[in-house]
Amino acid sequence: MPALLEVRRISRSFRGLQVLRGVSFSVEGGAIVGLIGPNGAGKSTLFNIVSGFLPPDDGDVIYAGADISRRSVPDRSYAGLVRTFQTPQVFRHLSVRENLMAGCYKQTRSGVLANLLGTPGSREESRRMRRSADAACEEFGLTAVRDRLAGELPAGQQRLVELARAAVGEPRLLCLDEPSSGLNTEEVVQLMNALQRLNAQGITILLVSHDMDLVTIAPVIHVLCFGEIIASGPLRAVQSDTRVREAYLGV
Amino acid sequence: MPVIARVHEANARLPLLKWAGALLVVALWAVLPALASRSVTDMLVFTALYSIAGLGVSFLLGQCGIVSLAQSVFYGVGAYSTAYCCVQLGWPSAAGLLVGIGISAVVAVAVGWPILRLSGYFLALATLALAIIGHVLFLEWDWLTGGTLGIGGIPPLSFMDYQLNSPQRFYYLVWPIAAALLWFHANLLRSRNGLAMRAMRDAPAAAAVLGVNIRILKVRMFVLSAVLGSLAGSLFAHYVSFVSVDSFGVDRAINFLLLAVLGGAKTIVGTVLGALFITIVPNALSRFGDIHAVLFAACLIAAVIFLPDGFGGAIARLTARMRAGDSRS
Amino acid sequence: MTGTLILQSALAGITNGFVYALIGLGLAVVFRGTRIINAMQGEFALIGGMVAYVLLNRFGLPLSLAFLCGALAGGALGWLIELTLVRPTRKRGASEEGYLLLTLGIAFAISAGVLYFFGRDARILPGIGGEGSQILFDAAIRTHAIWLIVISGAVMLALRFFYTGTLIGLSMMAASIDEDGAATTGINVPRMRSLTFLLGGSVGGLAGVLVSPLITIQYEMGLLLTLKGFAAAILGGLTNPFGAVIGGLTLGIVESLAVLTVSSGYKDVIAMTILIVIMIVLPDGILGRRLRRGG
Repeated sequence: MPALLEVRRISRSFRGLQVLRGVSFSVEGGAIVGLIGPNGAGKSTLFNIVSGFLPPDDGDVIYAGADISRRSVPDRSYAGLVRTFQTPQVFRHLSVRENLMAGCYKQTRSGVLANLLGTPGSREESRRMRRSADAACEEFGLTAVRDRLAGELPAGQQRLVELARAAVGEPRLLCLDEPSSGLNTEEVVQLMNALQRLNAQGITILLVSHDMDLVTIAPVIHVLCFGEIIASGPLRAVQSDTRVREAYLGV
Repeated sequence: MPVIARVHEANARLPLLKWAGALLVVALWAVLPALASRSVTDMLVFTALYSIAGLGVSFLLGQCGIVSLAQSVFYGVGAYSTAYCCVQLGWPSAAGLLVGIGISAVVAVAVGWPILRLSGYFLALATLALAIIGHVLFLEWDWLTGGTLGIGGIPPLSFMDYQLNSPQRFYYLVWPIAAALLWFHANLLRSRNGLAMRAMRDAPAAAAVLGVNIRILKVRMFVLSAVLGSLAGSLFAHYVSFVSVDSFGVDRAINFLLLAVLGGAKTIVGTVLGALFITIVPNALSRFGDIHAVLFAACLIAAVIFLPDGFGGAIARLTARMRAGDSRS
Repeated sequence: MTGTLILQSALAGITNGFVYALIGLGLAVVFRGTRIINAMQGEFALIGGMVAYVLLNRFGLPLSLAFLCGALAGGALGWLIELTLVRPTRKRGASEEGYLLLTLGIAFAISAGVLYFFGRDARILPGIGGEGSQILFDAAIRTHAIWLIVISGAVMLALRFFYTGTLIGLSMMAASIDEDGAATTGINVPRMRSLTFLLGGSVGGLAGVLVSPLITIQYEMGLLLTLKGFAAAILGGLTNPFGAVIGGLTLGIVESLAVLTVSSGYKDVIAMTILIVIMIVLPDGILGRRLRRGG
């Protein structure tokens, strides 16, 4: 399959510190790709550039054949590029159902005026959003907590809410930033199942993680160290790569 | 079995009770001008006017997380537009209203676009600076506003020769308008844009990732708030028939903010409660002279410390607890 | 427009600038110590001026003593407010907006209180060196204004030394940057917060007594002073004491010179517009380091 995401020679520095040096890699459509590396390797920065929260100093981000390097975060979202955050960014004062309904935002069109007047179109859209949200709750096992405020849930469930919210908007590329941080082993297994299910539905997944159990779901791994990709390939292969061992263990 | 049956009964009665309660309130509202004195009716007219203007501040605060102290400017624009168009230009009152709304919307976009990228206290202080700028301009541009002398002789609103020139008559116009606007807002809250607003308040980065254009949404909400302020100002001008710069200063802006904070910015009914508070209490305290301003400010302080969600929030918590209590018994 | 007029305006601008700088300094002190933006900073100036006025006129205290007491009154008020109002707010977990609303409410209360107790009339105090002026190239500057500049400068230097050179100053900074860390090293964090407000209030009160002979003091002056001081503080980077001087002087001079070209009624409009422009264009100040969220 052709590459859905292509990262080409991305460089970025902060106040004289070169964080990324000409990073290039690609993500095939329909694949699950993992991005690992020691702390300070530049994973978050790379992620922020891919998802649109930071501009690169140099290089391009090509998505579905188009250069999106300068496009805004909402624009990328409409194109199907959605990300999650290291600490789950659920909408704390909204219920789980409302969180998921918010995920349907870009599939609806009604303007503020229509919303104010409560036009039939606006109401129908709200009903549709509610139905999608409820269906997603079922799929992710959140029906029991559907009416609870998202801010009151434990970290593992918040993670699921965030994931479900990203998924309900029918993304093409899902970028996950440390999705397993704060989760116990059982929750990580739940997460892995959910991700594989989403992938089976055709969603491409890019995963940044420290968790060596989680990244086993990714057939392709890239290792980022000091702003450069030092190894790529299946997990077994990169784990035995000498450069990678040096980077992680100082061996 | 009988326990469960009783619980079901209680729960079934609840919506019926709510309907009965609502009907009672509406009935009371309808007969009030006939029973109460002119000054009480006058006070309630102001409550409605402040509810409209305060709704603008309230939802910006509660749903968007924006502290706006600029509502006095739009209130003034609405009032002066009406005054100028009707008195100086002799236009019909609808024209004055629309001109006011138009100018407020344009100002809100022009001013909102740059300053709404700010957040937190920067934004709040920027709106305060706007309130001061507005007040000074109202004072200095006396060719437009009459300065300290103001503009008088604003004709009352009339429908086919029926003039709304008394508190009782105006009461029956302004409250349905306020109620309609409150209902519109309830619609908005449940809609996609309402959700987007609240999402934006809770986690702006996550909202952006879902496709919400934060800046545009903030500006739209700011414009909406300004339109409400302007509408209230125009109605105010027709009601009191004389406007002067004293009504549109920083203390007015703080009044509107107090309304939002004290009433509870997160609930719609809180806005009305807040409006009731800021009309009734100064009236009741005015016999004590200038000290009412101190007591007022003391209320804002107390509200921030003890009732951060305002009266409306406290009531919402109470009803939630009652409902939980019902289902448990 | 003669050179003398411009110079006169510039001198007035410099004098005002130091007042704004002092207010901005007070704001920076409070922000540095508690991360709270203190919307009532100008009211400390009002109270300082009023207390000095009362002590001078009703109790016949000598000028310098009245001034000192005015400054201390500001400090005492700050300390009291922190203890009785800020602490409970903190305990209930206030948001940033919450603190802003609180300080705004207090500002409003103080202003209304002054209105109630002292009425709407403006008061004026005698300056240091009486009504005397010095002549500088045909432009006149009041002796008191020169004293104002000198005292302000001294206070700024003292504060810089305080924060970098004394244990208490360093402790206050530590307590605001990392509360838990500071507590584990034995710093009494709540006391540091109270001290912060004491210090901020005193600086504010001092600004009030220094400015009161030059402009009249009345119940409405607080808010405008706060906003102008805020402009000065932002230009200077919000936590840098010297920065507030640069910011204040810039604001003061620009304001005074701009008033030469437009009617003086627009003075506040110009200052407020400058504030808004600064917040949008230079939120991190001229020296530009990102030290706070919110812009």
